[in-house]
Amino acid sequence: MSESTNDLDTLPKNLIVGWQKYGRRKVAMRKKDLGIWRSYTWQDSYEQVRQLSLGLIALGLKHGDKVCIIGDNDPQYFWAQLAIQSGGGVAVGLFTDSAPPEIQYIVHHSDAAFVFAKDQEQCDKLLDIQDQVPAVRRVIYWDDKGLWNYDESWLISFERVQEAGRRLDAEQPDLFERSVNAGHGQDLAVFCYTSGTTGLPKGAMISHLNLIAGADANLEVDPRLETDEHMSFLPPAWITENILGLSVHLRAGNVVNFPEAPETVQQNIREVAPQSLFFSPRLWEDMVAMVQVRLIESTWINRLLYKIFMPVGYKVAGLRFEERKAVGLLWRLLYALGDFAVFQPLRDKLGLINAKTAYSSGAAQSPDVIRFFRAIGVNIKQLYGSTEAQTHTLHIGDDVRFETVGVPPPGMEIKIAEDGEILVKGPTVVRGYYKNPEATEKAFFLDEDGQRWYRTGDAGYIDSHGHLIYLDRMKEMLTLSSGEKYSPQYIEGRLKFSPYIRNVMSLGGEDTPFVTALINIDFDNVGRWAEKQGLAYTTFVDLSQKPEVYELIQGDVEAVNRTLPPAARVRKFVLLHKEFDADEGELTRTRKLRRGQLGESYGDMIGAMYGGDDSVQVQASVKYRDGREGVIETTVHVATLEGEIDKTTEGKAA
Amino acid sequence: MAADLVHLSVQNVSLSFGGIQALTGVSFDAREGEILAIIGPNGAGKTSMLNCINNFYHPDKGQIVFEGHDLTRLPPHRIAQLGVARTFQNIALYTGLSTLDNLMAARHIHMRAGFLQSLAYWGPAHREDIAHRQAVEDIIDFLEMAHIRKAIVGALPYGLRKRVELGRALAMEPRLLLLDEPMTGMNQEEKEDMARFILDVHERHGKTILLIEHDMGLVMDIADRVVVLDFGLKIAEGTPEDIRHDEAVIKAYLGEEMSR
Repeated sequence: MSESTNDLDTLPKNLIVGWQKYGRRKVAMRKKDLGIWRSYTWQDSYEQVRQLSLGLIALGLKHGDKVCIIGDNDPQYFWAQLAIQSGGGVAVGLFTDSAPPEIQYIVHHSDAAFVFAKDQEQCDKLLDIQDQVPAVRRVIYWDDKGLWNYDESWLISFERVQEAGRRLDAEQPDLFERSVNAGHGQDLAVFCYTSGTTGLPKGAMISHLNLIAGADANLEVDPRLETDEHMSFLPPAWITENILGLSVHLRAGNVVNFPEAPETVQQNIREVAPQSLFFSPRLWEDMVAMVQVRLIESTWINRLLYKIFMPVGYKVAGLRFEERKAVGLLWRLLYALGDFAVFQPLRDKLGLINAKTAYSSGAAQSPDVIRFFRAIGVNIKQLYGSTEAQTHTLHIGDDVRFETVGVPPPGMEIKIAEDGEILVKGPTVVRGYYKNPEATEKAFFLDEDGQRWYRTGDAGYIDSHGHLIYLDRMKEMLTLSSGEKYSPQYIEGRLKFSPYIRNVMSLGGEDTPFVTALINIDFDNVGRWAEKQGLAYTTFVDLSQKPEVYELIQGDVEAVNRTLPPAARVRKFVLLHKEFDADEGELTRTRKLRRGQLGESYGDMIGAMYGGDDSVQVQASVKYRDGREGVIETTVHVATLEGEIDKTTEGKAA
Repeated sequence: MAADLVHLSVQNVSLSFGGIQALTGVSFDAREGEILAIIGPNGAGKTSMLNCINNFYHPDKGQIVFEGHDLTRLPPHRIAQLGVARTFQNIALYTGLSTLDNLMAARHIHMRAGFLQSLAYWGPAHREDIAHRQAVEDIIDFLEMAHIRKAIVGALPYGLRKRVELGRALAMEPRLLLLDEPMTGMNQEEKEDMARFILDVHERHGKTILLIEHDMGLVMDIADRVVVLDFGLKIAEGTPEDIRHDEAVIKAYLGEEMSR
């Protein structure tokens, strides 16, 4: 962050400067292990990366080689990435829940020379596909649990690679520095394979300068202190964690914390209390749902305080952020009381006690969620971006409007094409997709000035405040047979605000006269509700088809319908007998709906809703985690909101 | 892989409750470091057999020898101290305590600090406590229970409670592990997780494991050898492959499974 910024054009160069600056005096990373937060100084980070990088070189890593990494958020993941880049290689992140064929595709497509695979689970997947990825020389693991008795010369431990590195270091003590200094900002740093809402995943080629520009732009609008805490729990294969986690850490010197296990993230966030948080809309929604459910189970005094002060919170937040008026003394006094009694303890429980900035990204965030957090004193900001261009827009400072996704960060430019598509330009726009010129051609273009633009494929418009309003994916904007347009995302976002609904897909198009919905109940919350009602159930299938549960969900649907224009209201819905599942290709790895696949999987039910049937027999094939397939047979009911069909005015629901 | 060293030898054990003959002259050996499964239809005497090994039941006849000690002459707590730990069919945990505390409680047989030492916070008792916590944390990590470390056991779902129980048995650092139907009442995924944990325990620590189980498929997958009981009699013993083809077993047990 000094004047010599230009020389620090790669991540490893930034690591070396950080190490020289902080050495043993400052903690770089923390990992909870065996119940205790263990610290690693910059010295530790530097040594780990140095030994590992030289180890890779000893094993034959060459400049420009690709190396895949598949593993949870651990210091080792970041060290591996920096070691690869120090050796001139490109790190290719994979999602930990990827199935062997997906891994095979990316490892093969990226021409990976090595693979880092965290543990037995991931190593097993690679051993499954060993024959199909002959270019991979070694698989390096960092958690040996369960691997003690493996006799595979293909697998090698982190420590043994580092041993080889130490030997090489003794022979050529200047090799590491030479190798790092040979790197340039234009060099490719990481490939991020896009979640692939459409077709096969594409590998976006991201350079060191792309990463550094992304981190610096973020730091400009949202400065970090060296003492700030970051919690690394987003998949590190995702561009977002690469920027907000590793790149920001190297540029700003803040501390990166790693959770004990994926299941403990929520507890660990509370322990760390980070200054900056980045959740998917789903996670923010889950937090609201969790607060509501916990509240029901809480003591009467807590419920009473919540009931008294939440309206105060909503009122003050509404004045401040929506009406943009001065808040009167009385309200401020009441809010201070509420903060003491409810909001502050709540923020503490949620790990938001130190949060200066809180972002939401990935899909549209329901305004109700934003209002809730504003009421308890956390102003959630929208961030809209992509793997190909990082942050397109975000809310800066107090200029937060929840119908928008904000304004471009410094250095970024946005314009709307004639057909309504959002186009972006800036230093974070990537060079293209690896080995895929057609897709690159389609997604990127150069303007008259030779500037590279990225076509986002999203529809939107810029409002009178200069904020971008995001509507939907271009191809997802739908028109009903009546000619009315609607955005499925909006309906889904609103419905998902119910604690009892886990996921929704809304339906309706040119050949259908009205909107319908496929709904996934939230098994935990509906189950708890059923227990309270004394309603007996056995499985997910059984619970989802209870008439009482239909009534419960119908109430939620009606509440959402009241906020919608009549044409866009949900007329019919079914409660699905199973959850949407990424393993069955129904969701992407970032948990977005794959509508095409879902339309196929649930064709019978969709037919029944538009055909006027009130129930449908389904035989759903399910794929278990271990790859076996089975069949569930059950009856799924169609619920019709009678009052909605001809109603054009607001009135009481049937 | 099985060293032919006999680790536990059950010799001609008979047990009766009034007029009911629960076990009749059952003999078998568990070799050091093997997974031996005891299978049989309901009421075959499987749990009775384990209870004899723990000496919760006193056999009428016969001997049970573990590392040179006749277990039929020792009280259960001595047997635990010798290095025999078990889990129960109906889960027997301290339901009001956390996972961590349940596991720490199991360490008591290894605790050396006396009453007076324990009164002082600092000193040997404190160091010992840290060592035990370390051992327990290793098990929590091993069985992937970090997210329920501080959770009250009574509030956990069934599958996780079973896992905590296995953890508690491991916390005793046994040389012989008795598992009484560790997978009943679990769904397929939980069963597979549990099977993986049992295999990991076996691989990592080379413990001798005596396993009672209902799920035939799993038993056949993970056991080195199988003993089959029917109405208190041992009707077969051998490798899973032998048992699968044994006429008497097919008739007594598999027969009714298959005709379903």
